[in-house]
Amino acid sequence: MLEAARLPAAAGGRTDVPLQWGIGLLAVVLVLFPLAPILYQSVLARPLYEPERVLSLQNYARILASPEFHAAALNSLAVAGATTVLAVGLGTLLAVLVMRTDLPLRGLLGSLIMSPLYISPLVLAFAWVTMFGPQGYVTIALRAATGADPWNLYSLPGIVAVSIFYYAPFAYLNAVASLSLSDPTVEDAARVAGAPPLRVLATVTLPLLRPAVTYSALLVGISSLELLSIPLILGTPSGIDTLATLLVKFGVMGGRPDYGGVAAVAVILLAVVTLLILVQERLIGAGQRFVTVRGKAVAPRPLAIGPLRLVALALGLAYVLLGVVVPLGGILLRSVVGFLSPLANPLDSLTLEHYALVFQTESYRRSITNSLLIAGVGGGAGILFMTLLALVAYRSELGWRRILGFVALYPRAIPGLIVGIGFLWSFLLIPRLGGLRNTVLALAIAFIMRYIPYGFSVIAPTLTRVSRELDSAARVCGDDWAGTVRRVLLPVLRPAILTGWVLLFITFLKEYSSAVFLFARGSEVMGTTMLELWRQGDMGPVSVLAALQVLLILAVTLVMRYAFGVRFHG
Amino acid sequence: MAEVVIEGLTKRFGAVTAVDGVSLTVGSGELVSLLGPSGCGKTTTLNCLAGLERPDAGRILAAGEILADADRRFFLPPERRQLGMVFQSYALWPHMTVADNIAYGLRTRRIPEAQIRQQTDEVLRLVQLEGMGNRYPHQLSGGQQQRVALARALVYQPRILLLDEPLSNLDAKLREHARVWLRDLQQRLRITAVYVTHDQVEALSLSDRIAVMSAGRIVQLGRPREIYERPADRFVADFIGQASFLPGEVIARDGHMVRIRLAAGHELRVQSSQAWTPGQAVLVVVRPERVVLADGPTDNVLTGAVRSHVYLGARHQYLVDIGGLEVRLEAAEELPPGPVRLHIPPHAATLLPHGSA
Repeated sequence: MLEAARLPAAAGGRTDVPLQWGIGLLAVVLVLFPLAPILYQSVLARPLYEPERVLSLQNYARILASPEFHAAALNSLAVAGATTVLAVGLGTLLAVLVMRTDLPLRGLLGSLIMSPLYISPLVLAFAWVTMFGPQGYVTIALRAATGADPWNLYSLPGIVAVSIFYYAPFAYLNAVASLSLSDPTVEDAARVAGAPPLRVLATVTLPLLRPAVTYSALLVGISSLELLSIPLILGTPSGIDTLATLLVKFGVMGGRPDYGGVAAVAVILLAVVTLLILVQERLIGAGQRFVTVRGKAVAPRPLAIGPLRLVALALGLAYVLLGVVVPLGGILLRSVVGFLSPLANPLDSLTLEHYALVFQTESYRRSITNSLLIAGVGGGAGILFMTLLALVAYRSELGWRRILGFVALYPRAIPGLIVGIGFLWSFLLIPRLGGLRNTVLALAIAFIMRYIPYGFSVIAPTLTRVSRELDSAARVCGDDWAGTVRRVLLPVLRPAILTGWVLLFITFLKEYSSAVFLFARGSEVMGTTMLELWRQGDMGPVSVLAALQVLLILAVTLVMRYAFGVRFHG
Repeated sequence: MAEVVIEGLTKRFGAVTAVDGVSLTVGSGELVSLLGPSGCGKTTTLNCLAGLERPDAGRILAAGEILADADRRFFLPPERRQLGMVFQSYALWPHMTVADNIAYGLRTRRIPEAQIRQQTDEVLRLVQLEGMGNRYPHQLSGGQQQRVALARALVYQPRILLLDEPLSNLDAKLREHARVWLRDLQQRLRITAVYVTHDQVEALSLSDRIAVMSAGRIVQLGRPREIYERPADRFVADFIGQASFLPGEVIARDGHMVRIRLAAGHELRVQSSQAWTPGQAVLVVVRPERVVLADGPTDNVLTGAVRSHVYLGARHQYLVDIGGLEVRLEAAEELPPGPVRLHIPPHAATLLPHGSA
């Protein structure tokens, strides 16, 4: 056969360099796009759309001297600190109980504890308001029974309480991952050495969790510092501000937006979060950025903790009931009744009027279709872009590709609100892009930019497990980089791409904070419509949208899990 | 066919110089092994040849065509080099059938489908995998996967075949069989091949010539017999096969016969064509299988006591203590108890300058 005339060398490869540069530059531009105008505005004396531009530090001086800023900063720190300690403590404790002890109903508790992961914090806040707010079902019932208000949800402790239930699942998940990866025989060894179960937990299991706890604490700390929805829903009625709600107040709620003030607060928040992320990198190490979660075949022996297991069961059930079942059940119920109160049988006011209202009002209906469009199409385009970005960053000859790993992960440090403000201002600054403003496309681009780290963190660990020899073999066989990506790497990465798509779909469907500044008439999404309705005090349609969001995410997750085997954890 | 010329090849990774001025010519149809421990630069050299790494200095030519020239900042990407390569992990694409894997290089060359089918079948026959085209890689055994990888590298008639430890993932029995088969195929196709391995037996049995590498340099280049019997330095002698290293001093030289006094006081005569001067410190290198038990001769005899004994089934391995020096010995039969007398034939030992490595 080898006597045949030699075959021609493959032509091609001419598109490789421009393609790699294009993808890399797009990522850099996308990340700088919202940051640049904020940094610029923060040192401008007047709003950036005005032709007269004078550099000045007066915005910072004004903000740093303002008592409003001091109060908000202190509140942010208090909420973030308390939430971190309590959510990480509770989440880790629950993980140990579920994974390592003979707690009854472990499996059920485990999945219920994690369910808030699929819920937007906005929905969780509305759910709590429905049941535990001043006019909430449980609150009214207790007030009727005791004659006094049992608690005030519209307070700092209230904000922390809801935040705990939102963040504990993250800590729980990290601890579960660490526990299922650690070798259970180290516990057996302690047993054999004579330690009773509780001593094993205290001296072996918990100390081994230290890296997971550190990781969770930083994750929760950073995220709760910038979280908007829970402080906005629970703090606004009683005038409690955090840095995030202050941005909304300066930016949209007042009659005239305070551009300089918004920019200065945003830069300060950005600086603090960036600093915390740098601390995280130092403590955890770059390799840990991609904490891969995978199961292990060795089933650990649960430790028998005796009568304590009933105490633990009580704790677990109380947590799940209070934090998950009652609020979520409440908001689902609220969506189908005229009003929800312990003083009347809810079944008497059963109605679909809220659903009818949502589906018959054009802008409400549009917010649902917009959300689905952004989540489906935007999420698909997003994961493809993130995959290509990971391929350029890890599998190309681009000289500056190493910078891309950092660029791809940096958006973690940019709070969603700031992403929205930044995009809005960029559109103001660059008139040519004005056409994008107020469109669904603008929202999709902002969401993609904000969640590059999500998709990247799904693809990159898988990519590092794909042998480099697979692409080398294609190249030696005569294919160029673009062909190798299309014919070898993308097909091999298909399961990870599918997982990433579902993850982005759910995340985009939940997303609201980067849309708060960016949406307009015609580009509403579910989150912004919920906020609008809430401002009008219309909790019925709010709960319809919340219920729809929860059910949509549940449906997508179940379909993907059972039809395509896509799972995010465990 | 194609000759490969590597001139002054250097490749650095940060502060580490992985390949340090390697020059090598592989003749048309010749199989040259790059042999060395891990980290010696052999795989990096191969990757530079393939175009998977960009050299920092030096030139690479194949069949007179320049593939890379660092001075002129010229670098041909791998897909333009017309090479075939077999990887250590085989690197078969898991989402493609055997036939699709093999046809890949033909499809990128836009060959008509009918011809692709015909050539794929032919090469499958060549590697004795007829009828396996529709299977997926995971349905094949390790040996079959290895042959698919080879078929994939050969199907588009590359000028040069590069092999990166292609047999290291096979178990011992299969490896031996595959070695013979591979050598036979290479000779039949008369294709120029560069073979990377850390396995000395593989290199000795497959190669026309071996380049022994250490710390990014070629320390010895020669035919297998030369490498084994006349190692250029202590590293080569130690890395390839086993050897005893006996320090001593040159007393006198008479033509090709050199008289050595060992550190233990014994005198040895060793055959060497090199110019040794009396008083020079040397190492006498002796392969264990070349040491014989001295029944008859009285010349070149060392007397000592057995320090350790390992039973290997077919042979026995001994470590004999000769006045503080250790001599390795492999014998077909078990030694009788008591002191042993060893004879080292003058032509069975090699001399190296002491302190060289």
